[in-house]
Formats: sequence, structure tokens, C-alpha cells
Amino acid sequence: MRRIRFGKHLTVLLAMIVLMGLPSMSFAAGKTETAAGAASTATLFWAGYDGVTEDYRKGLQDAFNAVDPAYQIDIVPVPWDQMKDKLTTALAGGKPPDISIIGTRWLLEYEELGQLAEPGAYVGKATIDDIFAGAKEGVVKGKLMGLPVAAGARFMAINDRIGKGVPKTMEELREMAIAANDPPNQYGLFMVGQKNTELTEFAYYLYAAGGDFFEKKADGTFGKSTVNSAAGVKALSFMNQLANEDKVVQDGYLGMTRIQGHPMFYADKIGYVMIGAWVDSAMKQAGSTFPVTYAQIPPFAGQKSTPLIITDSIAFFSGAKNLKAAGKFVDFWYQSEWKGKFDELAGFPPITKKASTLPAFNTPMYKVMSEASVNAKGWPLIATWDQCQDQIWDAVSKVYLKLATPKEALDAAAAAIDKINNIK
Amino acid sequence: MAERALFAKTRFQAKESRLAYLLLLPSVACILGFMVYPLISVGLMSIFRTNRLGWLQKFAGLENYYSVMGDKEFWQITGRSILWTTLAVLSKTIFGMVIALLLNVKYFGRKIARMLFIAPWASSVPISVLLWSWVYHPQFGLLNHTLKMTGITNNPPVWLGYPLSGFIAAIWVDIWIGIPFMALVFLAGMQAIPEDLYESADMDGVNAFQKFYYITLPSIRRILQISTLLSALWTFNDFNSIYILTAGGPVNMTDILITSIYKNAFVYARFDKAAVMAIITFIILTILSSIYARHYFREEN
Repeated sequence: MRRIRFGKHLTVLLAMIVLMGLPSMSFAAGKTETAAGAASTATLFWAGYDGVTEDYRKGLQDAFNAVDPAYQIDIVPVPWDQMKDKLTTALAGGKPPDISIIGTRWLLEYEELGQLAEPGAYVGKATIDDIFAGAKEGVVKGKLMGLPVAAGARFMAINDRIGKGVPKTMEELREMAIAANDPPNQYGLFMVGQKNTELTEFAYYLYAAGGDFFEKKADGTFGKSTVNSAAGVKALSFMNQLANEDKVVQDGYLGMTRIQGHPMFYADKIGYVMIGAWVDSAMKQAGSTFPVTYAQIPPFAGQKSTPLIITDSIAFFSGAKNLKAAGKFVDFWYQSEWKGKFDELAGFPPITKKASTLPAFNTPMYKVMSEASVNAKGWPLIATWDQCQDQIWDAVSKVYLKLATPKEALDAAAAAIDKINNIK
Repeated sequence: MAERALFAKTRFQAKESRLAYLLLLPSVACILGFMVYPLISVGLMSIFRTNRLGWLQKFAGLENYYSVMGDKEFWQITGRSILWTTLAVLSKTIFGMVIALLLNVKYFGRKIARMLFIAPWASSVPISVLLWSWVYHPQFGLLNHTLKMTGITNNPPVWLGYPLSGFIAAIWVDIWIGIPFMALVFLAGMQAIPEDLYESADMDGVNAFQKFYYITLPSIRRILQISTLLSALWTFNDFNSIYILTAGGPVNMTDILITSIYKNAFVYARFDKAAVMAIITFIILTILSSIYARHYFREEN
């Protein structure tokens, strides 16, 4: 009787162990499947770019994995707006991916935390030499810590049916936007009013006014915030004038992020928009038929053209175990037709010499982007940038909501930014 | 003989207890791993300076708490969280009650109506909120389009562009998602009320409101208490509605504690500050639950 009861207990216990063990077994099984027969499988956090399809990701993974069973890659797709959270969680938990696509400005943050490995130690010299020198922005303390994966200057797209020509200055843009404006049928200019991931809108006007976000010290580090400089106030006053006095921007701009608002341009309702390289493929996908001209974002009168350039990089993480496989994957990706295809799908101009010879990049849009890149300026490489840009976004919103004047709002933002950066 | 029987029963009980403990073990391990450990970890973060990955750096004592509590914006966000929870739970309770009453009446198509009412609760919350963000879209949104087409207004509001309208828009989405749960729970309670109570009331010439007030409401009072408590806990921590619709903006004027905690931790990498806010949220919710539980069990006794 006792034996039977003991047997029952044992059966229950075994059943529990099996039940508890099943998920981990299936997890392990899944891992084995990805790494079938592999000596070393690197993990890549793959940021979701508009236009780069799942078929491309899977095709690239399969193509590399077929080359050498000793080195395999597991490309994990991650939406852009979740990338920072996912990486932070992975790094904090001591389980970083081997490589990841990141915003170039994050490099500084991860370098400060001692999380980065130099790509040059794992990626072949031929691959690195094939990258245009100007695209190698991921330099921290004199070392190339991030390989560029995508770099594109912002420019202006003009709907020729609505727009009144190509403006040479911001002042001209205002006049043309006023002339083109005929709400609610069509609007002169597109503007983002709702805070989204990046502060691009203000940066366009700030750089066009000759301003910058921080004073730059002789050693290359950043000092006090300069968003409240004369250029900053001029930029924000001008934006407010367009939106709230001239009212040449789309109705409801305050409730629109970039993603929610751009379809208005594709739908032939807006004359001028400051935008990135995805515009071409997005217009094709939306079935836009109106004629379009690409031009530089104009500077304010008396200033030189300084567009914003956005760069993304590939970072190698020192705490990862399969960096050699990761390096081999980067060599494969950058030196084959796959990188050119990626640039074409994502709409970025090529950053490798090999890809730049492809006919797909010989278009008016890429020509404008190449010209824009000459004087373009990126985001400041500062670890606290996310907090700083939120302060500036809030200043812009306060002005739009008539809670403060541009000067008051930017003074408050500059003071808050200096406090965040412990600068007195 | 009796002693032996007693002894045998005790041994049996001891064995049964051992099995019971054994069976409880996985649950206890899960609670320790997924609830107690994170709580201790967050508690530690709140009294240390942390780096940008949340790793403990230097003991700070209560300094982080002083810093957070000395911030005017924190109190505004806490006040807004309480307002958010009060308004949302109250609305969900009222709407849920009305819908439960309607679904409790016998009519043709009642089963279909019940299924339709459950739909918002059965669908994924983030996807529902994303759909609502398009409903509120100033140019292409269904809401503003309807307002214009029906001639109610030619100049509809930019729902997510201003602090007040953004807050109202987000609270409505939270209510919309939460109503089915309340209605379903109330309906279950109503269906347990004996029919003869209503029949006696009919014979006494009692009107509909009196039946609701004197029979229905007292009969489902305990269900009402527990469902509002659950709803309050969920609503206080409803991240999706606000973050997806407004991300706490404009100018952080629609932020509630949970969205502010997320921003501080994962956007600004200020894990120590986020931990303090999380601990304060935990204390607020624990106090709320304790008051409710005391009241609930006192009545039960």
C-alpha cells in the first residue's frame, strides 16, 4: 500500500518535472534548429527599416549560413522603436547580442559602459577599406567602434503640382508655402507637431539658421547647451510663424507624428516636405502619381546649407561569445550583392564603394542626397541625448501650445539640458 | 483503537501535507522568481545610484527618494494618475452596469449582443489602442470625419494634440477596453440572483429603479467591490493607452506614473529614479488593496 502511494507521489513528481522541463526543452530545440551543426552562431539584432522585407532578412541569413557550417548567423528582427529597450535589457542582463544595428549616437553611451568591442578586430581589412571614409562616423576616442550600416542626409521633396518652385532660402520657402497653401484641399508645408522618436524637425531649422545644440570644446567634447542661441530662437520663431501665424502647415499638425503625417504628402495634399530617402519607395507604395522634385533643405538668408544627416552603425559587443562569426557575417554581407540590395530597399545611398556602382543609385534623389552629404551635420554624440532632445521637444510643444515664447521655452530647455549634463 | 485511528489519520495528513507542499513548490518558485526577486531588485535600485544599464553603483540611501519627491512634476504625475484611475474606474463601472442590465434582459439576439460586447476585451490591447490612434487622426480619422460629415462641427478638435483632449481621448480608450470585463462580471452576478425575488417585487408593485436599488445592487455588491478593485489596479498601471496614443505628451502633460517610470528607465536610462517611482506606485496600490481587503473580509466575517 505504502509502495503504491510512494509510486503515486513519484509519478506526480516526475510529471511535474516533465511539465516544467518542456518549455526549456522546446527552447533548446529551437536554438538547435537555428544553429544546426554550427560551431559558432552569432546573434544580430536587426533593426526594422521601411522597405527592407522579411524575405530579404531570411534570404541573407540562409545565404550566409550556407557558406560555412562552422560560422552561422541568427538575425533577430527588432522594430526600431524597441531596439534601445531590447539592447538595454540584453546588456543589463549580461546576455548581449554579438552585433546589433544601432543609432550611431548610442555608441558613446555603450563605450562609456565598456560594452563595445572594436569591429576592426573581427571584420576583414578589405571590408573596412571598401567603406567610404566619410561614412565612418562611429569613431569614439579615436577608434572606429561602429561600422556604418546606413547614412542618409535629409532633403526637401517638392510636389510640383502644388509647390511654387525650388526655394533658395527659408524666407523664400515661406513665401512659396503661403502661395501654395489652399486648405483644406492642399497645404503649403508639412510639419510634425507630436513628439516622436527623433527631433528632426527642429534640427532642420536650427542647422539652417547656423545654430547647433551644444558649444563644442577644443578637445571635441560638448559644453553648455546652445539651443537658446539667437539661431535657436530664430528657428523656433520661424517654425511657430509658419504653423500658427501663416498657417501654411497641414490642419491638425499638433496631433501628427512623422509616420502619421507623411501619407498626406504621398496623397498629393502637401507642397513641401523635409524628408529622408524612404520617400521614393513610400510614394511608389502609396501609388502617388504627381511629379516631384528633390532639392536641398534651404538655409536662412546669409547662412550656408547644413542639412541633417542620420547615420546608423553596426556595433560589436565585448560580452558576446561569437564575435568571430559576427565578423565573418559582416564581411559576407558588405562584400556581396546583399549590401547593395539592402541600401536599395531601405532607400539609403550606398556606403560601400562596391554598392555605389550599382545602377539603382543613379537617380535624381540619390544625386541630391550625395550633394547634401557634403555639408551635412549629424546628431551630437552625447550619452544623455535622449533626455536632452525631450527637453527641446517640450520647448517646441510649449511654443505651439502658446504656453511660452520661443525665447522663454528655449531658455528653460537649455537650463534643463545643462542640469542633465551637470554643467554649471 | 481510537488512538490508532487518530494516529493513522495524522500520518495520512502528514503525507498529504508533504504532497501538498511538493505541489505548491513550482508556484512558490515562480512567485519568488518573478515577483519577490524583481521587487527586491527594484527596492535596491531605489536606494543606490545606478549606471545606464541599471547596475548598482553607489549607496545613496534615501537621496533618490528626496530627489523624486522634491520634483514638482512627480506630484503632478501622481495626481494625474489618481484622477485617471478614478475617472476611468467610475466610468467603466457605470457603463458596465448599464450594459450588464441590458444584457440580462431577455430579448431576441441577446447571445449575439453578449458576444459583440466582449470583443474589445478579447482583442489585443496594443492593437486596439493603435486602431484608436487612427480613429483620432486629425486628417484621416474616422471620428473627425464623422463629426464633419454629420455637420456636428466643421472644425473638429486635434484630439491628441492638446493636453486636455489627449487625456480625455486616452481615458476613453482605457474605458472602452475595460467596459466588457466589468459588464461580464456584473452580468454573472446578476444571473445568480433568484428570479423569485423579482417576481415578489413585481407582485408588490415595485418599479424598475427600486428593483435595481433594493434587489440587484445589494446582491452584486461584493462582486462590485472586487471588480472595481481589480479594475483600479489595472487602470492605474495601464501603460498602453497613454503611451501609444500620446507618449505622455504634449509637454508630459498626459503622463501617468507608469508611463513616466518607463520613460525614466528605458528612454533616459535613469533606473534609480524609475525604481523610486515604481516603489511609490507599489505602496499606493498596496494601501488601496489593503483598505479594500480589510473592508471585504470584515463584511464577510
